[in-house]
Amino acid sequence: MRSVGVLAAIFIALALLGPSIAPHDPTAINIPARLSPPSATWWLGTDALGRDILSRLLHGARWSLGLAFIVSVIGLCMGTLAGLVAALGGKYADWIVMRATDTFLSFPDLVAAVVIAGVLGAGTGSLIFALCVTGWMRYARVARGIGLSLRSRGYVVQARLAGLSPLSIARWHYLPALLPSLTVVWTGMFARAILGISALGFLGFGVQPPTPEWGTMLLDARIHMRSTPLQMIWPGLAVVTCVLAINLVGDALRDALAH
Amino acid sequence: MTTVLFGLVLRAAVVLLGTALVTFALLWHAPGDPALAIALARYQVVVPDAVRDQVRAEAGFDAGFWTAFSAWLGPILTGDFGQSSVTGRDVWPDLLVAISHTAPLALAGLAIGLLISVPLALLATRNPGGLLDRGAVALASIGAAVPQYWLGLLLILLFAEHLSWLPAMGARTSMHMVLPALTLGLAVSASLTRILRSGIQEARGRPFLPAFRRRGVSGSALERDHVARHAAVPVITVFGLELAFLLEGAVMVEIIFARPGLGSFLVSAIEARDFPKVQAVVIVSVALFVTVNLMIDVLYRLIDPRIGEPHA
Repeated sequence: MRSVGVLAAIFIALALLGPSIAPHDPTAINIPARLSPPSATWWLGTDALGRDILSRLLHGARWSLGLAFIVSVIGLCMGTLAGLVAALGGKYADWIVMRATDTFLSFPDLVAAVVIAGVLGAGTGSLIFALCVTGWMRYARVARGIGLSLRSRGYVVQARLAGLSPLSIARWHYLPALLPSLTVVWTGMFARAILGISALGFLGFGVQPPTPEWGTMLLDARIHMRSTPLQMIWPGLAVVTCVLAINLVGDALRDALAH
Repeated sequence: MTTVLFGLVLRAAVVLLGTALVTFALLWHAPGDPALAIALARYQVVVPDAVRDQVRAEAGFDAGFWTAFSAWLGPILTGDFGQSSVTGRDVWPDLLVAISHTAPLALAGLAIGLLISVPLALLATRNPGGLLDRGAVALASIGAAVPQYWLGLLLILLFAEHLSWLPAMGARTSMHMVLPALTLGLAVSASLTRILRSGIQEARGRPFLPAFRRRGVSGSALERDHVARHAAVPVITVFGLELAFLLEGAVMVEIIFARPGLGSFLVSAIEARDFPKVQAVVIVSVALFVTVNLMIDVLYRLIDPRIGEPHA
Protein backbone atom coordinates (compact mmCIF):
# COMPACT_ATOMS: atom_id res chain seq x y z
CA MET A 1 0.00 0.00 0.00
CA ARG A 2 2.91 2.31 0.73
CA SER A 3 4.16 1.97 -2.84
CA VAL A 4 0.75 3.14 -4.06
CA GLY A 5 0.98 6.21 -1.87
CA VAL A 6 4.42 6.91 -3.29
CA LEU A 7 3.09 6.53 -6.82
CA ALA A 8 0.25 8.96 -6.12
CA ALA A 9 2.72 11.41 -4.58
CA ILE A 10 4.90 11.18 -7.69
CA PHE A 11 1.94 12.10 -9.87
CA ILE A 12 1.02 15.08 -7.72
CA ALA A 13 4.66 16.22 -7.84
CA LEU A 14 4.69 15.80 -11.63
CA ALA A 15 1.51 17.84 -11.97
CA LEU A 16 3.01 20.62 -9.85
CA LEU A 17 6.54 20.52 -11.24
CA GLY A 18 5.73 19.25 -14.74
CA PRO A 19 6.05 22.52 -16.63
CA SER A 20 9.43 23.32 -15.06
CA ILE A 21 11.01 19.91 -15.73
CA ALA A 22 9.60 19.45 -19.23
CA PRO A 23 12.52 19.26 -21.70
CA HIS A 24 10.73 21.15 -24.51
CA ASP A 25 8.02 23.74 -25.12
CA PRO A 26 4.79 21.67 -25.27
CA THR A 27 3.28 23.82 -28.03
CA ALA A 28 6.42 24.43 -30.12
CA ILE A 29 5.68 23.18 -33.63
CA ASN A 30 8.59 21.47 -35.39
CA ILE A 31 7.41 20.08 -38.73
CA PRO A 32 10.74 18.48 -39.84
CA ALA A 33 10.72 16.37 -36.65
CA ARG A 34 7.05 15.33 -36.92
CA LEU A 35 6.06 11.81 -35.82
CA SER A 36 9.61 11.05 -34.63
CA PRO A 37 10.05 7.77 -32.76
CA PRO A 38 11.40 7.90 -29.18
CA SER A 39 15.06 9.03 -29.19
CA ALA A 40 17.60 10.81 -27.00
CA THR A 41 16.16 14.22 -27.96
CA TRP A 42 12.50 13.21 -27.97
CA TRP A 43 12.21 10.70 -25.12
CA LEU A 44 8.69 9.62 -26.03
CA GLY A 45 8.73 10.80 -29.64
CA THR A 46 6.82 13.67 -31.24
CA ASP A 47 3.26 14.14 -32.49
CA ALA A 48 1.94 15.07 -35.93
CA LEU A 49 3.09 18.69 -35.52
CA GLY A 50 6.52 17.73 -34.17
CA ARG A 51 5.63 18.66 -30.58
CA ASP A 52 7.47 16.75 -27.84
CA ILE A 53 5.10 14.17 -26.35
CA LEU A 54 6.85 13.96 -22.96
CA SER A 55 6.64 17.72 -22.51
CA ARG A 56 2.99 17.67 -23.52
CA LEU A 57 2.28 14.86 -21.03
CA LEU A 58 4.01 16.76 -18.22
CA HIS A 59 2.17 19.99 -19.00
CA GLY A 60 -1.02 17.99 -19.53
CA ALA A 61 -0.80 16.60 -15.99
CA ARG A 62 -1.56 20.08 -14.70
CA TRP A 63 -4.70 20.23 -16.84
CA SER A 64 -5.92 16.68 -16.39
CA LEU A 65 -5.19 16.40 -12.66
CA GLY A 66 -5.67 20.06 -11.80
CA LEU A 67 -9.09 20.33 -13.43
CA ALA A 68 -10.13 17.01 -11.88
CA PHE A 69 -9.08 18.35 -8.48
CA ILE A 70 -11.08 21.56 -8.94
CA VAL A 71 -14.14 19.68 -10.18
CA SER A 72 -14.08 17.13 -7.38
CA VAL A 73 -13.61 19.76 -4.66
CA ILE A 74 -16.49 21.89 -5.99
CA GLY A 75 -18.63 18.74 -6.11
CA LEU A 76 -17.59 17.94 -2.52
CA CYS A 77 -18.71 21.37 -1.30
CA MET A 78 -22.00 21.32 -3.26
CA GLY A 79 -22.84 17.76 -2.20
CA THR A 80 -21.95 18.23 1.48
CA LEU A 81 -24.06 21.38 1.63
CA ALA A 82 -27.00 19.62 -0.04
CA GLY A 83 -26.66 16.59 2.26
CA LEU A 84 -26.54 18.73 5.40
CA VAL A 85 -29.55 20.78 4.28
CA ALA A 86 -31.42 17.50 3.76
CA ALA A 87 -30.40 16.10 7.15
CA LEU A 88 -30.95 19.26 9.20
CA GLY A 89 -33.47 21.32 7.26
CA GLY A 90 -36.60 19.38 8.15
CA LYS A 91 -38.94 17.06 6.30
CA TYR A 92 -39.69 19.21 3.25
CA ALA A 93 -36.10 20.29 2.64
CA ASP A 94 -35.09 16.64 2.93
CA TRP A 95 -37.70 15.57 0.37
CA ILE A 96 -36.75 18.28 -2.12
CA VAL A 97 -32.99 17.72 -1.83
CA MET A 98 -33.27 13.95 -2.05
CA ARG A 99 -35.56 14.05 -5.10
CA ALA A 100 -33.09 16.47 -6.73
CA THR A 101 -30.32 13.99 -5.93
CA ASP A 102 -32.33 11.12 -7.44
CA THR A 103 -33.05 13.27 -10.49
CA PHE A 104 -29.41 14.09 -11.18
CA LEU A 105 -28.37 10.50 -10.46
CA SER A 106 -30.76 9.33 -13.20
CA PHE A 107 -28.75 10.94 -15.98
CA PRO A 108 -26.04 8.62 -17.27
CA ASP A 109 -22.95 10.60 -16.14
CA LEU A 110 -21.03 10.75 -19.36
CA VAL A 111 -24.05 11.33 -21.59
CA ALA A 112 -25.14 14.23 -19.37
CA ALA A 113 -21.61 15.68 -19.30
CA VAL A 114 -21.33 15.44 -23.10
CA VAL A 115 -24.72 17.13 -23.55
CA ILE A 116 -23.98 19.94 -21.08
CA ALA A 117 -20.46 20.62 -22.34
CA GLY A 118 -21.54 20.31 -25.97
CA VAL A 119 -24.59 22.54 -25.65
CA LEU A 120 -22.78 25.24 -23.67
CA GLY A 121 -19.97 25.23 -26.24
CA ALA A 122 -16.70 23.35 -25.99
CA GLY A 123 -14.24 24.89 -23.54
CA THR A 124 -12.75 24.57 -20.09
CA GLY A 125 -15.57 26.50 -18.36
CA SER A 126 -18.33 24.29 -19.76
CA LEU A 127 -16.23 21.24 -18.94
CA ILE A 128 -15.95 22.21 -15.27
CA PHE A 129 -19.65 23.08 -15.09
CA ALA A 130 -20.68 19.81 -16.76
CA LEU A 131 -18.63 17.64 -14.41
CA CYS A 132 -19.69 19.55 -11.27
CA VAL A 133 -23.39 19.30 -12.13
CA THR A 134 -23.04 15.53 -12.62
CA GLY A 135 -20.68 14.95 -9.69
CA TRP A 136 -22.20 16.16 -6.38
CA MET A 137 -24.88 13.55 -5.65
CA ARG A 138 -22.82 10.85 -3.97
CA TYR A 139 -21.43 13.32 -1.45
CA ALA A 140 -24.98 14.47 -0.74
CA ARG A 141 -26.20 10.94 -0.04
CA VAL A 142 -23.28 10.15 2.28
CA ALA A 143 -23.51 13.49 4.10
CA ARG A 144 -27.27 13.10 4.59
CA GLY A 145 -26.93 9.53 5.85
CA ILE A 146 -24.31 10.40 8.45
CA GLY A 147 -26.09 13.64 9.29
CA LEU A 148 -29.34 11.80 10.07
CA SER A 149 -27.53 9.30 12.29
CA LEU A 150 -25.83 12.12 14.20
CA ARG A 151 -29.00 14.08 14.83
CA SER A 152 -30.09 11.99 17.79
CA ARG A 153 -26.63 11.55 19.32
CA GLY A 154 -26.27 12.85 22.87
CA TYR A 155 -23.68 15.52 22.20
CA VAL A 156 -25.56 16.94 19.24
CA VAL A 157 -28.82 17.04 21.20
CA GLN A 158 -27.02 18.76 24.08
CA ALA A 159 -25.48 21.31 21.74
CA ARG A 160 -28.92 22.05 20.36
CA LEU A 161 -30.42 22.37 23.84
CA ALA A 162 -27.54 24.62 24.85
CA GLY A 163 -28.77 27.00 22.16
CA LEU A 164 -26.05 26.57 19.52
CA SER A 165 -27.26 27.75 16.12
CA PRO A 166 -27.76 25.08 13.42
CA LEU A 167 -24.83 26.59 11.53
CA SER A 168 -22.41 26.18 14.43
CA ILE A 169 -23.70 22.67 15.08
CA ALA A 170 -23.07 21.83 11.44
CA ARG A 171 -19.61 23.40 11.62
CA TRP A 172 -18.41 21.94 14.94
CA HIS A 173 -20.25 18.62 15.21
CA TYR A 174 -21.21 17.48 11.74
CA LEU A 175 -18.27 18.42 9.53
CA PRO A 176 -15.60 16.65 11.64
CA ALA A 177 -17.73 13.50 11.72
CA LEU A 178 -18.39 13.66 7.98
CA LEU A 179 -14.82 14.29 6.89
CA PRO A 180 -13.41 10.71 6.87
CA SER A 181 -16.24 9.20 4.81
CA LEU A 182 -16.40 12.17 2.48
CA THR A 183 -12.65 11.88 1.85
CA VAL A 184 -13.15 8.30 0.68
CA VAL A 185 -15.98 9.39 -1.63
CA TRP A 186 -13.79 12.25 -2.83
CA THR A 187 -10.94 9.97 -3.96
CA GLY A 188 -13.42 8.00 -6.07
CA MET A 189 -14.87 11.17 -7.56
CA PHE A 190 -11.40 12.60 -8.22
CA ALA A 191 -10.53 9.49 -10.24
CA ARG A 192 -13.89 9.67 -12.00
CA ALA A 193 -13.26 13.32 -12.88
CA ILE A 194 -9.90 12.43 -14.49
CA LEU A 195 -11.68 9.85 -16.64
CA GLY A 196 -14.49 12.29 -17.45
CA ILE A 197 -12.14 15.11 -18.44
CA SER A 198 -10.11 12.87 -20.72
CA ALA A 199 -13.28 11.35 -22.25
CA LEU A 200 -14.73 14.78 -23.03
CA GLY A 201 -11.34 15.90 -24.37
CA PHE A 202 -11.25 12.81 -26.57
CA LEU A 203 -14.73 13.60 -27.92
CA GLY A 204 -13.66 17.18 -28.67
CA PHE A 205 -15.99 18.73 -26.06
CA GLY A 206 -13.36 19.35 -23.38
CA VAL A 207 -10.12 21.30 -23.13
CA GLN A 208 -9.37 22.69 -26.57
CA PRO A 209 -6.16 22.28 -28.57
CA PRO A 210 -3.34 23.31 -28.57
CA THR A 211 -3.59 22.99 -24.77
CA PRO A 212 -1.99 19.66 -23.89
CA GLU A 213 -4.60 17.60 -22.05
CA TRP A 214 -4.39 13.80 -22.03
CA GLY A 215 -7.77 13.13 -23.66
CA THR A 216 -7.19 15.78 -26.33
CA MET A 217 -3.75 14.27 -26.99
CA LEU A 218 -5.39 10.89 -27.54
CA LEU A 219 -7.78 12.46 -30.03
CA ASP A 220 -4.77 13.80 -31.99
CA ALA A 221 -2.90 10.50 -31.71
CA ARG A 222 -5.84 8.48 -32.99
CA ILE A 223 -5.49 9.89 -36.49
CA HIS A 224 -1.90 8.61 -36.76
CA MET A 225 -2.61 5.34 -34.99
CA ARG A 226 -1.37 3.24 -37.90
CA SER A 227 1.97 4.93 -38.50
CA THR A 228 2.89 5.78 -34.90
CA PRO A 229 0.94 3.57 -32.50
CA LEU A 230 3.20 4.50 -29.57
CA GLN A 231 1.93 8.08 -29.65
CA MET A 232 -1.45 6.74 -28.58
CA ILE A 233 -0.07 4.59 -25.77
CA TRP A 234 1.48 7.31 -23.59
CA PRO A 235 -1.50 9.55 -22.73
CA GLY A 236 -3.68 6.50 -22.07
CA LEU A 237 -1.03 5.00 -19.82
CA ALA A 238 -0.83 8.28 -17.91
CA VAL A 239 -4.61 8.26 -17.31
CA VAL A 240 -4.62 4.60 -16.25
CA THR A 241 -1.75 4.86 -13.76
CA CYS A 242 -3.15 8.05 -12.23
CA VAL A 243 -6.66 6.70 -11.83
CA LEU A 244 -5.36 3.38 -10.52
CA ALA A 245 -3.11 5.07 -7.95
CA ILE A 246 -5.93 7.33 -6.72
CA ASN A 247 -8.41 4.44 -6.53
CA LEU A 248 -5.96 2.34 -4.53
CA VAL A 249 -5.31 5.20 -2.12
CA GLY A 250 -9.09 5.48 -1.74
CA ASP A 251 -9.38 1.74 -1.03
CA ALA A 252 -6.59 1.96 1.57
CA LEU A 253 -8.32 4.94 3.24
CA ARG A 254 -11.62 3.06 3.32
CA ASP A 255 -9.98 0.00 4.88
CA ALA A 256 -8.20 2.18 7.42
CA LEU A 257 -11.54 3.79 8.35
CA ALA A 258 -13.27 0.45 8.69
CA HIS A 259 -10.78 -0.76 11.31
CA MET B 1 -47.29 -3.97 -0.87
CA THR B 2 -49.72 -1.93 -2.99
CA THR B 3 -49.00 1.25 -1.02
CA VAL B 4 -45.26 0.57 -1.24
CA LEU B 5 -45.56 0.01 -4.98
CA PHE B 6 -47.59 3.19 -5.36
CA GLY B 7 -44.95 5.15 -3.43
CA LEU B 8 -42.15 3.78 -5.61
CA VAL B 9 -44.00 4.59 -8.83
CA LEU B 10 -44.80 8.09 -7.60
CA ARG B 11 -41.16 8.67 -6.75
CA ALA B 12 -40.05 7.47 -10.18
CA ALA B 13 -42.58 9.81 -11.78
CA VAL B 14 -41.27 12.78 -9.78
CA VAL B 15 -37.71 11.94 -10.82
CA LEU B 16 -38.74 11.64 -14.48
CA LEU B 17 -40.49 15.01 -14.35
CA GLY B 18 -37.41 16.49 -12.68
CA THR B 19 -35.06 15.18 -15.36
CA ALA B 20 -37.36 16.51 -18.10
CA LEU B 21 -37.33 19.92 -16.43
CA VAL B 22 -33.53 19.95 -16.02
CA THR B 23 -33.00 18.85 -19.64
CA PHE B 24 -35.38 21.44 -21.01
CA ALA B 25 -33.93 24.20 -18.82
CA LEU B 26 -30.39 23.45 -19.99
CA LEU B 27 -31.30 23.71 -23.66
CA TRP B 28 -33.53 26.72 -23.03
CA HIS B 29 -30.62 28.60 -21.48
CA ALA B 30 -28.07 27.44 -24.03
CA PRO B 31 -25.97 30.31 -25.38
CA GLY B 32 -26.51 31.65 -28.87
CA ASP B 33 -29.74 32.12 -30.76
CA PRO B 34 -31.09 28.62 -31.41
CA ALA B 35 -33.57 29.98 -33.98
CA LEU B 36 -30.74 31.48 -36.01
CA ALA B 37 -28.74 28.25 -35.76
CA ILE B 38 -31.71 26.23 -37.00
CA ALA B 39 -32.44 28.65 -39.83
CA LEU B 40 -28.80 28.56 -40.92
CA ALA B 41 -28.69 24.77 -40.76
CA ARG B 42 -31.88 24.54 -42.79
CA TYR B 43 -31.25 27.09 -45.52
CA GLN B 44 -27.44 27.30 -45.59
CA VAL B 45 -27.49 30.99 -46.59
CA VAL B 46 -27.63 34.40 -44.97
CA VAL B 47 -30.93 34.38 -43.12
CA PRO B 48 -33.27 37.40 -43.21
CA ASP B 49 -34.71 38.43 -39.82
CA ALA B 50 -38.23 37.50 -40.92
CA VAL B 51 -37.22 33.89 -41.55
CA ARG B 52 -35.48 33.73 -38.22
CA ASP B 53 -38.54 35.05 -36.42
CA GLN B 54 -40.69 32.51 -38.22
CA VAL B 55 -38.42 29.68 -37.09
CA ARG B 56 -38.49 31.05 -33.57
CA ALA B 57 -42.29 31.07 -33.49
CA GLU B 58 -42.46 27.62 -35.07
CA ALA B 59 -40.19 26.12 -32.43
CA GLY B 60 -42.08 27.89 -29.64
CA PHE B 61 -39.01 29.87 -28.56
CA ASP B 62 -40.95 33.14 -28.29
CA ALA B 63 -43.28 31.87 -25.56
CA GLY B 64 -42.28 31.94 -21.89
CA PHE B 65 -40.27 29.13 -20.29
CA TRP B 66 -43.19 27.35 -18.61
CA THR B 67 -45.45 27.64 -21.65
CA ALA B 68 -42.72 26.21 -23.85
CA PHE B 69 -41.96 23.48 -21.30
CA SER B 70 -45.55 22.26 -21.04
CA ALA B 71 -46.01 22.52 -24.81
CA TRP B 72 -42.92 20.31 -25.16
CA LEU B 73 -43.72 17.85 -22.37
CA GLY B 74 -47.32 17.15 -23.41
CA PRO B 75 -46.57 15.37 -26.70
CA ILE B 76 -43.58 13.51 -25.16
CA LEU B 77 -45.93 11.75 -22.74
CA THR B 78 -47.64 10.28 -25.80
CA GLY B 79 -44.30 9.32 -27.36
CA ASP B 80 -44.05 12.24 -29.78
CA PHE B 81 -40.59 13.81 -29.55
CA GLY B 82 -41.32 16.44 -32.19
CA GLN B 83 -39.40 17.15 -35.36
CA SER B 84 -35.70 17.56 -35.91
CA SER B 85 -35.03 21.29 -35.98
CA VAL B 86 -32.57 20.80 -38.84
CA THR B 87 -34.19 18.33 -41.22
CA GLY B 88 -37.80 18.75 -40.08
CA ARG B 89 -38.22 14.97 -39.95
CA ASP B 90 -39.85 13.25 -36.97
CA VAL B 91 -37.26 12.49 -34.29
CA TRP B 92 -38.78 9.24 -32.99
CA PRO B 93 -38.31 6.98 -36.08
CA ASP B 94 -34.68 8.11 -36.45
CA LEU B 95 -34.11 7.54 -32.75
CA LEU B 96 -35.60 4.05 -33.00
CA VAL B 97 -33.14 3.20 -35.78
CA ALA B 98 -30.27 4.42 -33.59
CA ILE B 99 -31.54 2.36 -30.65
CA SER B 100 -31.85 -0.72 -32.85
CA HIS B 101 -28.10 -0.41 -33.50
CA THR B 102 -27.13 0.28 -29.88
CA ALA B 103 -29.29 -2.32 -28.09
CA PRO B 104 -27.59 -5.43 -29.59
CA LEU B 105 -24.17 -3.92 -28.85
CA ALA B 106 -25.10 -3.21 -25.24
CA LEU B 107 -26.58 -6.71 -24.79
CA ALA B 108 -23.52 -8.36 -26.35
CA GLY B 109 -21.29 -6.27 -24.09
CA LEU B 110 -23.31 -7.30 -21.04
CA ALA B 111 -23.16 -10.97 -22.08
CA ILE B 112 -19.38 -10.84 -22.48
CA GLY B 113 -19.08 -9.00 -19.17
CA LEU B 114 -21.10 -11.71 -17.39
CA LEU B 115 -19.18 -14.51 -19.09
CA ILE B 116 -15.93 -13.07 -17.75
CA SER B 117 -16.97 -11.81 -14.33
CA VAL B 118 -19.22 -14.61 -13.01
CA PRO B 119 -16.64 -17.43 -13.31
CA LEU B 120 -13.89 -15.07 -12.16
CA ALA B 121 -15.83 -14.02 -9.06
CA LEU B 122 -16.77 -17.62 -8.24
CA LEU B 123 -13.16 -18.77 -8.58
CA ALA B 124 -11.86 -15.82 -6.59
CA THR B 125 -14.22 -16.34 -3.65
CA ARG B 126 -13.42 -20.04 -3.38
CA ASN B 127 -10.25 -19.13 -1.53
CA PRO B 128 -10.45 -15.56 -0.17
CA GLY B 129 -7.05 -13.88 0.00
CA GLY B 130 -5.52 -16.54 -2.24
CA LEU B 131 -3.61 -16.02 -5.44
CA LEU B 132 -6.70 -16.20 -7.68
CA ASP B 133 -8.60 -13.81 -5.43
CA ARG B 134 -5.84 -11.24 -5.43
CA GLY B 135 -5.42 -11.63 -9.17
CA ALA B 136 -9.13 -11.01 -9.76
CA VAL B 137 -9.07 -7.92 -7.53
CA ALA B 138 -5.99 -6.59 -9.34
CA LEU B 139 -7.60 -7.17 -12.74
CA ALA B 140 -10.80 -5.47 -11.63
CA SER B 141 -8.88 -2.50 -10.21
CA ILE B 142 -6.90 -2.02 -13.39
CA GLY B 143 -10.02 -2.51 -15.49
CA ALA B 144 -11.81 0.23 -13.57
CA ALA B 145 -8.97 2.65 -14.34
CA VAL B 146 -8.78 2.04 -18.10
CA PRO B 147 -10.81 4.53 -20.16
CA GLN B 148 -13.12 2.67 -22.55
CA TYR B 149 -12.10 4.68 -25.56
CA TRP B 150 -8.44 3.86 -24.95
CA LEU B 151 -9.18 0.17 -24.47
CA GLY B 152 -11.08 0.26 -27.78
CA LEU B 153 -8.14 1.88 -29.56
CA LEU B 154 -5.74 -0.70 -28.10
CA LEU B 155 -7.97 -3.55 -29.29
CA ILE B 156 -8.16 -2.00 -32.77
CA LEU B 157 -4.38 -1.69 -32.77
CA LEU B 158 -3.89 -5.33 -31.77
CA PHE B 159 -6.66 -7.23 -33.55
CA ALA B 160 -7.35 -5.05 -36.58
CA GLU B 161 -4.02 -3.40 -37.38
CA HIS B 162 -1.39 -5.77 -36.06
CA LEU B 163 -3.01 -9.19 -36.42
CA SER B 164 -5.64 -8.27 -39.06
CA TRP B 165 -8.08 -10.77 -37.53
CA LEU B 166 -11.11 -8.55 -37.21
CA PRO B 167 -12.58 -5.51 -38.94
CA ALA B 168 -12.59 -2.34 -36.84
CA MET B 169 -14.59 0.45 -38.43
CA GLY B 170 -18.26 0.56 -39.36
CA ALA B 171 -21.05 -2.00 -38.92
CA ARG B 172 -21.36 -3.78 -42.27
CA THR B 173 -21.04 -7.40 -41.09
CA SER B 174 -21.63 -9.18 -37.81
CA MET B 175 -17.84 -9.52 -37.46
CA HIS B 176 -17.77 -5.73 -37.06
CA MET B 177 -19.62 -6.25 -33.79
CA VAL B 178 -16.87 -8.37 -32.16
CA LEU B 179 -14.33 -5.70 -31.22
CA PRO B 180 -16.87 -3.10 -29.98
CA ALA B 181 -18.70 -5.73 -27.92
CA LEU B 182 -15.40 -6.99 -26.50
CA THR B 183 -14.39 -3.43 -25.52
CA LEU B 184 -17.70 -2.89 -23.77
CA GLY B 185 -17.66 -6.37 -22.20
CA LEU B 186 -14.16 -6.00 -20.75
CA ALA B 187 -15.06 -2.60 -19.30
CA VAL B 188 -18.27 -3.95 -17.76
CA SER B 189 -16.57 -7.07 -16.38
CA ALA B 190 -14.20 -4.98 -14.25
CA SER B 191 -16.93 -3.45 -12.11
CA LEU B 192 -19.11 -6.59 -12.22
CA THR B 193 -16.27 -8.77 -10.89
CA ARG B 194 -15.66 -6.38 -8.03
CA ILE B 195 -19.29 -6.29 -6.94
CA LEU B 196 -19.97 -10.00 -7.49
CA ARG B 197 -16.88 -10.91 -5.49
CA SER B 198 -17.74 -8.77 -2.49
CA GLY B 199 -21.40 -9.84 -2.67
CA ILE B 200 -20.57 -13.54 -2.65
CA GLN B 201 -17.91 -13.11 -0.01
CA GLU B 202 -20.28 -11.28 2.29
CA ALA B 203 -22.97 -13.92 1.75
CA ARG B 204 -20.47 -16.69 2.53
CA GLY B 205 -19.52 -15.01 5.78
CA ARG B 206 -23.06 -15.08 7.19
CA PRO B 207 -23.08 -16.58 10.69
CA PHE B 208 -26.01 -18.92 10.00
CA LEU B 209 -24.14 -20.87 7.30
CA PRO B 210 -21.95 -22.94 9.68
CA ALA B 211 -25.06 -23.63 11.74
CA PHE B 212 -26.88 -25.01 8.70
CA ARG B 213 -23.83 -27.03 7.73
CA ARG B 214 -23.62 -28.64 11.13
CA ARG B 215 -27.26 -29.55 10.87
CA GLY B 216 -26.37 -31.52 7.75
CA VAL B 217 -27.51 -29.22 4.94
CA SER B 218 -25.48 -30.17 1.87
CA GLY B 219 -22.94 -27.78 0.37
CA SER B 220 -24.76 -27.32 -2.93
CA ALA B 221 -28.11 -26.68 -1.24
CA LEU B 222 -26.41 -24.13 0.99
CA GLU B 223 -24.90 -22.34 -2.00
CA ARG B 224 -28.16 -22.32 -3.93
CA ASP B 225 -30.66 -21.48 -1.21
CA HIS B 226 -28.63 -19.20 1.01
CA VAL B 227 -25.41 -17.88 -0.49
CA ALA B 228 -26.90 -17.16 -3.94
CA ARG B 229 -29.97 -15.52 -2.44
CA HIS B 230 -27.99 -13.25 -0.15
CA ALA B 231 -25.53 -12.36 -2.87
CA ALA B 232 -28.39 -11.50 -5.23
CA VAL B 233 -29.33 -8.22 -3.53
CA PRO B 234 -26.06 -6.32 -4.11
CA VAL B 235 -25.71 -7.89 -7.55
CA ILE B 236 -29.15 -6.71 -8.64
CA THR B 237 -28.37 -3.21 -7.35
CA VAL B 238 -25.33 -3.13 -9.53
CA PHE B 239 -27.35 -4.18 -12.53
CA GLY B 240 -29.28 -0.95 -12.30
CA LEU B 241 -26.09 1.08 -12.16
CA GLU B 242 -24.46 -1.09 -14.79
CA LEU B 243 -27.24 -0.20 -17.21
CA ALA B 244 -26.24 3.46 -17.18
CA PHE B 245 -22.63 2.37 -17.58
CA LEU B 246 -23.55 0.15 -20.54
CA LEU B 247 -25.44 2.96 -22.19
CA GLU B 248 -22.67 5.53 -21.94
CA GLY B 249 -20.10 2.85 -22.72
CA ALA B 250 -21.99 2.00 -25.90
CA VAL B 251 -22.05 5.70 -26.81
CA MET B 252 -18.26 5.94 -26.47
CA VAL B 253 -17.57 2.62 -28.18
CA GLU B 254 -19.78 3.52 -31.13
CA ILE B 255 -17.87 6.71 -31.67
CA ILE B 256 -14.48 4.96 -31.58
CA PHE B 257 -15.57 2.23 -33.98
CA ALA B 258 -17.52 4.62 -36.23
CA ARG B 259 -20.71 2.58 -35.73
CA PRO B 260 -24.17 4.01 -36.28
CA GLY B 261 -26.24 4.20 -33.10
CA LEU B 262 -27.18 6.41 -30.17
CA GLY B 263 -23.61 7.69 -29.77
CA SER B 264 -23.24 9.15 -33.23
CA PHE B 265 -26.90 10.25 -33.14
CA LEU B 266 -26.23 12.24 -29.95
CA VAL B 267 -22.89 13.74 -30.96
CA SER B 268 -24.07 14.81 -34.41
CA ALA B 269 -27.24 16.29 -32.89
CA ILE B 270 -25.18 18.30 -30.38
CA GLU B 271 -22.86 19.55 -33.10
CA ALA B 272 -25.80 20.60 -35.31
CA ARG B 273 -27.54 22.11 -32.23
CA ASP B 274 -30.52 19.93 -33.12
CA PHE B 275 -32.06 20.24 -29.66
CA PRO B 276 -35.19 18.09 -30.15
CA LYS B 277 -32.90 15.16 -30.97
CA VAL B 278 -30.62 15.85 -27.99
CA GLN B 279 -33.64 16.07 -25.69
CA ALA B 280 -35.04 12.82 -27.06
CA VAL B 281 -31.80 10.90 -26.40
CA VAL B 282 -31.55 12.20 -22.85
CA ILE B 283 -35.23 11.60 -22.03
CA VAL B 284 -35.23 8.07 -23.45
CA SER B 285 -32.04 7.04 -21.65
CA VAL B 286 -33.25 8.50 -18.36
CA ALA B 287 -36.66 6.84 -18.74
CA LEU B 288 -34.95 3.50 -19.35
CA PHE B 289 -32.73 3.96 -16.31
CA VAL B 290 -35.58 5.01 -14.02
CA THR B 291 -37.84 2.17 -15.20
CA VAL B 292 -35.18 -0.49 -14.67
CA ASN B 293 -34.38 0.86 -11.23
CA LEU B 294 -38.06 0.88 -10.33
CA MET B 295 -38.25 -2.78 -11.35
CA ILE B 296 -35.16 -3.48 -9.25
CA ASP B 297 -36.74 -1.78 -6.23
CA VAL B 298 -39.74 -4.07 -6.58
CA LEU B 299 -37.56 -7.13 -7.17
CA TYR B 300 -35.60 -6.45 -3.97
CA ARG B 301 -38.70 -6.65 -1.90
CA LEU B 302 -39.55 -10.00 -3.45
CA ILE B 303 -36.08 -11.45 -2.84
CA ASP B 304 -35.52 -9.96 0.58
CA PRO B 305 -38.79 -9.24 2.41
CA ARG B 306 -36.85 -7.39 5.13
CA ILE B 307 -36.10 -4.45 2.81
CA GLY B 308 -38.52 -1.60 3.31
CA GLU B 309 -39.94 -3.06 6.54
CA PRO B 310 -40.18 -0.45 9.28
CA HIS B 311 -38.26 -2.54 11.83
CA ALA B 312 -35.62 -4.04 9.55
